[in-house]
Amino acid sequence: MSATLEYQAKDYKSELKPIWCPGCGDYSVVQGIYRALAAIGRPPHEIAFISGIGCSSRIPGYTTAYGFNTVHGRALPIAQGIKMANPDLLVLAAGGDGDGFSIGGGHLAHLVRRNMDITYIVMDNQIYGLTKGQLSPTSQKGRQTCTSRFGSLEEPVNPLLYMLAYGAHFVAQACPTDLAGMAAIIEEAIRFPGFAFVNIQSPCVTYGEEAQQMKGLKAIQESLKALGHDPADRLAAMDLAQQYGTKMHLGVFYRNPEPPATYEQLVRERQAEQMKNAAPRERILDLFIKK
Amino acid sequence: MSTQGIDFSRLSLKDALDLAVLIEEEAKERYEEFADQMEQHRTPEAAKFFRYMALNEAKHGEELAARRATLFGNQGSSVNRSMLFDIEAPDYDEARAFMSPRAAMQAALASETKAHGFFVAALPSIQNPEVKALFEELRDEEVEHQDLVKAELAKLPPDPAVSDEEFVDAPAPQ
Repeated sequence: MSATLEYQAKDYKSELKPIWCPGCGDYSVVQGIYRALAAIGRPPHEIAFISGIGCSSRIPGYTTAYGFNTVHGRALPIAQGIKMANPDLLVLAAGGDGDGFSIGGGHLAHLVRRNMDITYIVMDNQIYGLTKGQLSPTSQKGRQTCTSRFGSLEEPVNPLLYMLAYGAHFVAQACPTDLAGMAAIIEEAIRFPGFAFVNIQSPCVTYGEEAQQMKGLKAIQESLKALGHDPADRLAAMDLAQQYGTKMHLGVFYRNPEPPATYEQLVRERQAEQMKNAAPRERILDLFIKK
Repeated sequence: MSTQGIDFSRLSLKDALDLAVLIEEEAKERYEEFADQMEQHRTPEAAKFFRYMALNEAKHGEELAARRATLFGNQGSSVNRSMLFDIEAPDYDEARAFMSPRAAMQAALASETKAHGFFVAALPSIQNPEVKALFEELRDEEVEHQDLVKAELAKLPPDPAVSDEEFVDAPAPQ
């Protein structure tokens, strides 16, 4: 046993009190994030936490890290800009399933292929909670809401399969039903050198269905580790990811055992290479003078 | 409810006391959070009860901390908050908007029962007789805490025949 922690979870907790509905899964998620950050041990001023719009996107305000509650669906472009401006920052992005897979869905593929060292945490509750319960991209087919009185006619998106198909090098799923496991997965995602995606099944206590509350989720949860899943096996991960919506697998679906260079690293290398033949600063004007 | 990295078979009395203090601290903070949530949602009766529970947990934690200080002074700790998850603290999903005092007390009762279960489950692994005695004491105290909450529950008038839930409208079509 060791208690030599430089930072504790409480060091990442801001004085702002959450205004989520009592019972919301996001209360546990923010606790998991505090714990993961404490385990990582980076001081709050070296962390930038970026979000979009939605209940879960309030999360940066509840931490002592630098935060930016941006506009709907635009957490990822802004997080990428911040990472490029200061690659030494630990950059986290967060939001809900609507923010991430609907209006912001187009950004996912490009961040994945760019592979910036950003951890993206999605609190997936299968509903637009902040705007009072409309269908979201992960709502199940047949789901009745105020915008689908007779049931949704659309298939839900499968975030895990999306990310694996885009080529993400780290894809995991967690749930507040296992707080210790969730904190460990977030920590592992942050430590992964490159883009990491964590889908967190976080129940909406007000507009969520009974089966998607904690008790219902506990009934369908299965640990990937207990199943003997090898997180280095991408195809096996895709097989398991197909069960999204019927089973809730918790753990790391895929972790590239040989992570490629990040975009930031490649940019630094390119800059160093270009600098080799660069003219000295005091002679830059000479380049524009006709001789 | 879970712990991480704690070997109960090798737990010393100092570590056990520290662990007990941390369990009370976690519960106190959670009750304070619940009270804040209830105040946010204009449910003062439930908030008042959760503040009362937070005070009880704080008092118990202070007693344990004083005992630890008498026995071990300023000696360093081998346990920390990252090692425990919701032992006596009510689970986040126990809270609900507009909780009645009865629902608040039932949530607290469930937490005290959960904490009792934790000590019962840990006891067979414990080797150190002093730690065993402490855990038995803490286990029994959880029963006393349950009695305390049950006494508060008994003071409540019966619930109305209809609940607030029955007046909630179905989502309106948009």
